[in-house]
Amino acid sequence: MRNIGDHRFLISEFAKRLGHCFLAVLLLISVLSLSACIRPRSRFEPGVLRVNLGTEPPGLDWHTATDSTSFDVVSNLMVGLTQYTNKLTCAPSCAKNWEVLDGGKRYLFHLRDDLRWTDGKPVTAYDFEYAWKRLLNPVTAAQYAFFLYDVVGAREYNTGKLKSAETLGIKALDAHTFEIRLRKPATYFIYLTAFCVSFPMRKDVVEKWGDRWTEPEHFVTNGPFKLTKWQHEYKMELAANEGYFDSVPQVKLIKMFMVPEASTAFALYENDELDFIDNRSFATPDVERYRNSPEYKNFPLLRANYLAFNVTKKPFTDVRIRKAVAMAIDRSIFPRILRRGERPATSWIPPALPGYSPDSGLKFDPVAARALLAEAGYPGGKGLPKPELLYPNRDDVRLTVEATQDQLKRNLGMEIELVNQEWKVYLATVRKDAPPMFRNSWGADFPDPETFMNLFTKDCGNNDTKWSDPRYDALIEAAQGELNAAKRADLYRQADVMLCREAVPIVPTFLATQNIMVKPWVTGIAINPLDLQFFKDVVVDDSQNSQTKYGAR
Amino acid sequence: MEIVEKAKMPVVAPLDQSVMARIRRIPTAYIALWVIALICVVALLSFMGFSLCQYSFDQTSSDFLAGPSGQHWMGTDELGRDLFSRIVYGARLSIAIGLTTAAVAFVIGTLYGALSGYLGGKVDTFMMRGVDIAYSLPDLLVMILIGVLLGRGTIGILIALGLVSWMGTARLVRAQFLQLKNEEFIEAARAQGQSGWNIVFKHLLPNALGPIIVALTFTVPSAILSESTLSFIGLGLSPPACSWGTLASDGWRSLRAHPHLIFFPSLFIFITVLSFNFLGDGLRDALDPRTRLGKKSR
Amino acid sequence: MFALIVKRILLAIPVLLVVASLTFVLVRIVPGGPFDADKNLPPEIIANLNAKYHLDKPVPEQYLLYLGRLAQGDLGVSYKYVNRTVNDILADAFPVSLQLGTISLTLAVLIGVPLGAIAAVCRGRKEDVIAMFLSTLGISVPGFVIGATLIFVFAIKLRVLPVGLWESPWHVVLPAVTLAFSPAAYLARLTRASVLEIVEKDWVRTARSKGLSQWNTVLKHILRNSLIPVVTVLGPLTAIVITGSFVVEYIYAIPGMGRFFITAVMNRDYDLILGTTLVFAVLLIIANTFVDLAYQFLDPRMRIED
Repeated sequence: MRNIGDHRFLISEFAKRLGHCFLAVLLLISVLSLSACIRPRSRFEPGVLRVNLGTEPPGLDWHTATDSTSFDVVSNLMVGLTQYTNKLTCAPSCAKNWEVLDGGKRYLFHLRDDLRWTDGKPVTAYDFEYAWKRLLNPVTAAQYAFFLYDVVGAREYNTGKLKSAETLGIKALDAHTFEIRLRKPATYFIYLTAFCVSFPMRKDVVEKWGDRWTEPEHFVTNGPFKLTKWQHEYKMELAANEGYFDSVPQVKLIKMFMVPEASTAFALYENDELDFIDNRSFATPDVERYRNSPEYKNFPLLRANYLAFNVTKKPFTDVRIRKAVAMAIDRSIFPRILRRGERPATSWIPPALPGYSPDSGLKFDPVAARALLAEAGYPGGKGLPKPELLYPNRDDVRLTVEATQDQLKRNLGMEIELVNQEWKVYLATVRKDAPPMFRNSWGADFPDPETFMNLFTKDCGNNDTKWSDPRYDALIEAAQGELNAAKRADLYRQADVMLCREAVPIVPTFLATQNIMVKPWVTGIAINPLDLQFFKDVVVDDSQNSQTKYGAR
Repeated sequence: MEIVEKAKMPVVAPLDQSVMARIRRIPTAYIALWVIALICVVALLSFMGFSLCQYSFDQTSSDFLAGPSGQHWMGTDELGRDLFSRIVYGARLSIAIGLTTAAVAFVIGTLYGALSGYLGGKVDTFMMRGVDIAYSLPDLLVMILIGVLLGRGTIGILIALGLVSWMGTARLVRAQFLQLKNEEFIEAARAQGQSGWNIVFKHLLPNALGPIIVALTFTVPSAILSESTLSFIGLGLSPPACSWGTLASDGWRSLRAHPHLIFFPSLFIFITVLSFNFLGDGLRDALDPRTRLGKKSR
Repeated sequence: MFALIVKRILLAIPVLLVVASLTFVLVRIVPGGPFDADKNLPPEIIANLNAKYHLDKPVPEQYLLYLGRLAQGDLGVSYKYVNRTVNDILADAFPVSLQLGTISLTLAVLIGVPLGAIAAVCRGRKEDVIAMFLSTLGISVPGFVIGATLIFVFAIKLRVLPVGLWESPWHVVLPAVTLAFSPAAYLARLTRASVLEIVEKDWVRTARSKGLSQWNTVLKHILRNSLIPVVTVLGPLTAIVITGSFVVEYIYAIPGMGRFFITAVMNRDYDLILGTTLVFAVLLIIANTFVDLAYQFLDPRMRIED
């Protein structure tokens, strides 16, 4: 008996001590949290813009970078010969004007003479010549070198067939005149001069610092902002460039954070730790909660989502089945499940571009779809093999393919199997041996139908449908060289009809949108359909007395 | 064969009526046992094609993201599918994933750890370096690779999770063996001239079983969770198949807008894990030869 | 003990070599290469890229080149983070992860061990049930759900802690707590099991029967002996924290190694995968060596045999 009593006592004593220890830890944590309350916070800092990049830009050398994150930063650090207006026309920038000669095969750019790099030296045509030749130099191994393949000798030089850069169609005639010769007329060429890959570069800087020339202490740029700080995988700081030839930006400092998780970035925005967010910082449920907020805006983008067939694989060798699928999908489901204002699409050329026609594609028509399927020998989907639909594993993509699966089952009696793969595996699979169906998307590189239509020509490396048609290729080639805008648009429209109504190697589904939220103290944020973000006209200001206008939370 | 027979003996022996009786006397473990049994039965029934709820797991409706109601007990998801029927469907994959992984971990881990711990010396050093290597290989890479080699889907994930989770058990068993093998009763058995197998399986293993079982009741939930982490980074099951893990990882961003999407899957994972833990505790007591002897002698 | 350390260091070298070799092979078997991208590149450009990074050479030659560089402490270059060496990247990211991991592990021990001990001592009572309930919560709720909930409660509703980022000491609190959940729960359960075991041992009963004066000895013995399993799991705990760091660093936008590792695998950034794996391997080996040393210290019966 005595033992047991002791036992109980000992144990409770032991428990008490441990309990105290535990409580002390909890107390410490709560004290820490509470004292954090005392931190003073202001909702924003005038002249400082805080945004989310989402991920670390893989690199700021615009010859080796290929991704939109890098280009978002570079677009604010650099300007090229021309620059996009928000209506997506090319406006003069470094070039004050240009001449198109020889039936569209020769371009002559005349540079402004007040251009300065951030280290004070003038920007010359030689900087452009060096940059363009470096882009094409095989040693640079630039992934986007092919953008200049229309330039005389460019492809040969880049692929090592031409050893010397001397004969390339790229030449600085003097410090302020830059000449480009093309293999054939290419109406979209002018757009490339506003694209990041064509920006000038300083030979002395690049050669002096080698691979590290884009670090803030060495970087020399010519745009509205300059890079002042780069904490890798965390934050970048861009300061206004006082020597910028155009109007100096009002924002003194941009802090670009790299917050990969959208819901975290969104919470940061809600807590006034970011001033502006876009798709990268939106998880779908958040869009919903803020749809009616005055801070929320939605812009169409030139990014099209589509369902592709491998036309060499059964059952999609039969065009009737491809058409049936195209007509069995009610595209209005996508904006309802994705809830970001997506726009359903039936044609490949988006409405914003020349050549678009609402009638180019096949509309939703389940009755006709079932009739076609029956005609192909599978009435009500009976006897149809169960094809695979491959897609990369991402939340929003998963929803769209699940909806597609459901639509085909319901409207066509067609069962499909969904297969997801991790992004790189998906890419490799589609490239090597695409399954019968796969889901893909394409973002425009420049605001011209060419960037979309070229995708399904025979020689395009991105055409994974195995479909090709010499008539289609001929239409595209004719459109490339056509200088008359109306005729050109019509050529593209014909090609679009062939693609979406007659041969149907792809089923366009919807166009993506850019969703943004902007704090009330920020003005001048502009989103263009190419999804390039320019911050030079942004104002972060408390002049209207933020306390009364925005209220303290 | 004879060895296998002998090997089975002590493990089977404790699972007699006295064990059940003891478990029955521990209410938490007893309830837990029933909960697990219930979940397993539901999973099995749904696997055999009995429809347990009025909706099928992949049946969509225009009732997007509805909250819990009389019609949809746990609400619906982004495609208007009934969450309750998805959770019922998910049970089979989650339970299968948990149990298979635990079984793989138990078999490989125990054999490996027992061998290493009992033999000791150079063999032990060598085998432990093997565990170090297996530990150091990134799970993620191994899982992607297995997913690719065996085809995506459930089997790939089962094997992948099994292959990356035996090392903990192996280390634990080895540690127990190192500790136990110098104890008096083992010395005694050795002095009696008993064979190595006998010592390992009749004396060492039953005495080490307590911690192993506690560790195993951990492997089940951790496998269920690993699968959800896989889904989180985009390497999970192919839809429309779903498990509790994929449901949780699909729903966690809706924590604020549609809490039911994350609450219910998490709740079921929680109940299952809790049950396994309580059952594990109960089993530990019931299987432990020392406590059992103590009970009998009283 | 010194001899043991030296021996483990020597043994670590072949282990690391095997890890490096296996990972080297694994990354190359997994489909998809570093330059597969949204927009397909002309084969000529892929050839240029492969030449730049020596990926055009036969794999055995790549392997020898890699080992040669490894011997000089050069972990290679990243293909994705253009112009950055793996050494640079890890030098930036490792201290961050180390800091976060150490704080979490300490937190886990401070919470988990007392919780488990209380549960064991109050076995079968409501304290036990509550403690086990808490620890079950810790292991059954996925890290991303815990993270999202903590952010929601402490950052958005109460506004007492930052949502994410890595700026001030306050920014460490939520990620560290999130990361500590699972190891703390693991420790609590293990401590409970081992304390129970010890409490039932004969010598503890004897000590108890001798009365109150022995209390301190008992406490010491209980703690010391129950620490063995706790120390044993330091290896697995380190692994749990490393795996957890993938998710936590991602959710809280912390520039640590876990985040790099995931993106490296997704990008097929071969050298970065290898570099990160090797650092993780070294960490685990250190943890395991420490375990063996601690064994000797805590329980002299368990000499590591030669």
